[in-house]
Amino acid sequence: MSWGAHQFEIYAIQAHLPRRMRGRISFFGVWLGDFTPDFLAKFWVYGVTIGSTHYGAHVPHRWHRGWPGVGFTHTLSFGLLVAGGLWLWRRRRALTVGYALGFAAHALTDVNDSVGTMLLFPFSTLNWTTQAWSYAATVSGGKYLDAAAYYSSLGLVMDLLWLGVVLGWWRALTREFWRTEVVPADPHGWARLGGLMPERALLALYHATFFYGICRVVSWSTWTHVVARPVIDGVRRVGYPLDLSWTGPWWIGTRSLPHAPPALVPVVAGLLLVLVYATASALWERMGAAEAVARGAGA
Amino acid sequence: MTDEQANVVRLDMRGSRRLTMRESAVWYGLAGASYIALSIFHKWLLNWFVGPAWLVAFVWAGPALLDRVRRR
Repeated sequence: MSWGAHQFEIYAIQAHLPRRMRGRISFFGVWLGDFTPDFLAKFWVYGVTIGSTHYGAHVPHRWHRGWPGVGFTHTLSFGLLVAGGLWLWRRRRALTVGYALGFAAHALTDVNDSVGTMLLFPFSTLNWTTQAWSYAATVSGGKYLDAAAYYSSLGLVMDLLWLGVVLGWWRALTREFWRTEVVPADPHGWARLGGLMPERALLALYHATFFYGICRVVSWSTWTHVVARPVIDGVRRVGYPLDLSWTGPWWIGTRSLPHAPPALVPVVAGLLLVLVYATASALWERMGAAEAVARGAGA
Repeated sequence: MTDEQANVVRLDMRGSRRLTMRESAVWYGLAGASYIALSIFHKWLLNWFVGPAWLVAFVWAGPALLDRVRRR
């Protein structure tokens, strides 16, 4: 799974929209789309222990990303289905396309751990994974071991890469960008919030997910490499060992599901990303016209 | 910048004070430093609700409280 990357990618999407979509894609939609998969799946992955009983998935990686399980929550088809439902419900292009783009970013980023996602579900239940780092959510290790493994592997590099993408396009974090390209796509939502809080708090709300992403990376990395005192192979260590090799770290067993050849993943993931953008572009004008008609009828 | 311009307080649509770049950096920095320092040892703070709320609370309430103290 990916950690801070999911917080950063929503700003990367905002910053790299095609020209005609700029200022017209809902930030709330992108945020909701990007967070939906883990909202639906992650709680039960770690589960909860009450007394001496653990309530949660018996095989977390299968539950999270496989079938049977809720792996469908990390598939493009599910994201597009929910986006379609949003469109039928609200008839809002900004929200629908934003949701689809955010969801696609999440599902495609998650192909990088050793379990991956079912990219072609429901046509195939095969997982697609580059196996760049080990999926580490386990019943016994819980969130702590998962975080330690992620921030000791190429997962840390992935987070920093996404952070670099956003910082490289720092304009997406400015007040001017928020005013001219984020607010116009969600005028009613921001106006409603503006009735409750001052502008500086609204801007902070826009920055809040980015802030959380950075803090998450720094906090978990510091805990993993400085504070934690794990015992690995019978040896007590100061911090978990960093291992930036492929499918690292070495000190955790790699979990996987039946999957397609990893070499094919970048190609297929890239094609699917292009397909999502192409579909959004092809439907863009038609959705705009339908939204205008719906608004006219509602007025 | 003239003294007159320097003394102008920029207000938003609700009449609340806008922060200067330097003030923003200070409040965001304080929020980040405090959140990271606490969350390293109290992992329950690291979640999708507390993290974003932490920043908004600092930037919203911090300057308002400081202004109130300065006015006294």
